[in-house]
Amino acid sequence: MSTFELNEDQQDCLQELINVAMGQASDQLARYLDTFVYLKVPSIEPVNSEQLFETLNQDLKAAAVVSQGFFGYEGIRGEALLMYQPQDSHRLADLLGYEAGEMTFDEQIIDLSSILTTTFLNVFASQIDNQMSYSAPRLLSANNAKVSEHLNQQSFNWDLALKVKISYQVTDYSFNCDMVLLIPEEAINNIKAVIDRILEDF
Amino acid sequence: MSTNVLICDDSNLARKQVLRSLPENLSKNAQLATNGEEALAILRTQDIDVLFLDLTMPVIDGLGVLQTMKDESIKLPVFVISADVQPEMQSRVLDLGAAAFLRKPVQLNTLTENLQLHGFL
Repeated sequence: MSTFELNEDQQDCLQELINVAMGQASDQLARYLDTFVYLKVPSIEPVNSEQLFETLNQDLKAAAVVSQGFFGYEGIRGEALLMYQPQDSHRLADLLGYEAGEMTFDEQIIDLSSILTTTFLNVFASQIDNQMSYSAPRLLSANNAKVSEHLNQQSFNWDLALKVKISYQVTDYSFNCDMVLLIPEEAINNIKAVIDRILEDF
Repeated sequence: MSTNVLICDDSNLARKQVLRSLPENLSKNAQLATNGEEALAILRTQDIDVLFLDLTMPVIDGLGVLQTMKDESIKLPVFVISADVQPEMQSRVLDLGAAAFLRKPVQLNTLTENLQLHGFL
């Protein structure tokens, strides 16, 4: 039997930690784009590595995916995927307000993704007295095969993971960006231990 | 005279964080609501002196609660406690009549300062 399942209190606590992190990340995004970002309640669900592509199928219609690994103390690690929808991708350069030739589209999207990922995870980590380091962000373009290959490499070492999906909706421009965090089972068990310590205080 | 407090947040942990940050004379009479609809039901039928309100919630969210309170002339100090710290969100809740915007996770000294400012301590 897997010890992976979170009980109601653990799920509530994790969701509250995520809410705080996503609030700070959306504030960064709002300031960066000089607009308002609408937040929805995030989804948290377990996935196994075989189902991963099925559950990500919808998301993988994205025009661009930026992937960045994160590593904290106490075996807390995972992979963050930032997904941009095709109809929105051409708006991004306008939104970001870069001068033509200043930065390529690829550089802009990596830049934005890295800001969102690191803001979110730094805030998340600080709440659990942890500290994250990051691998260099990688742009996996529209090519689904490339995304699959990359995720296969990431999922190679785990059977079960927690999938956390956060949608950032920039309503003024109908621009959407989804952040998907994949946290392998072993790392989740470590997060659970930290959550239990927080819950003990209450 | 006792002060009747209502804490509205969909997270059990967040409700406890507020409750634990309140002085005893405020926490002993605190009631809890898990979404905006529950909070409004309590506000309509009971004499509440102060409301601590989250924004991102199911059923009726915090903005919905503030709008309904305005429409129904339910007047009491509301302290919004939210993770959504965008400046535009802060100005929206203040425009809707909230007494203050406090960022999550709520800090004891910030809460105390605001309670003092509004005469609850």
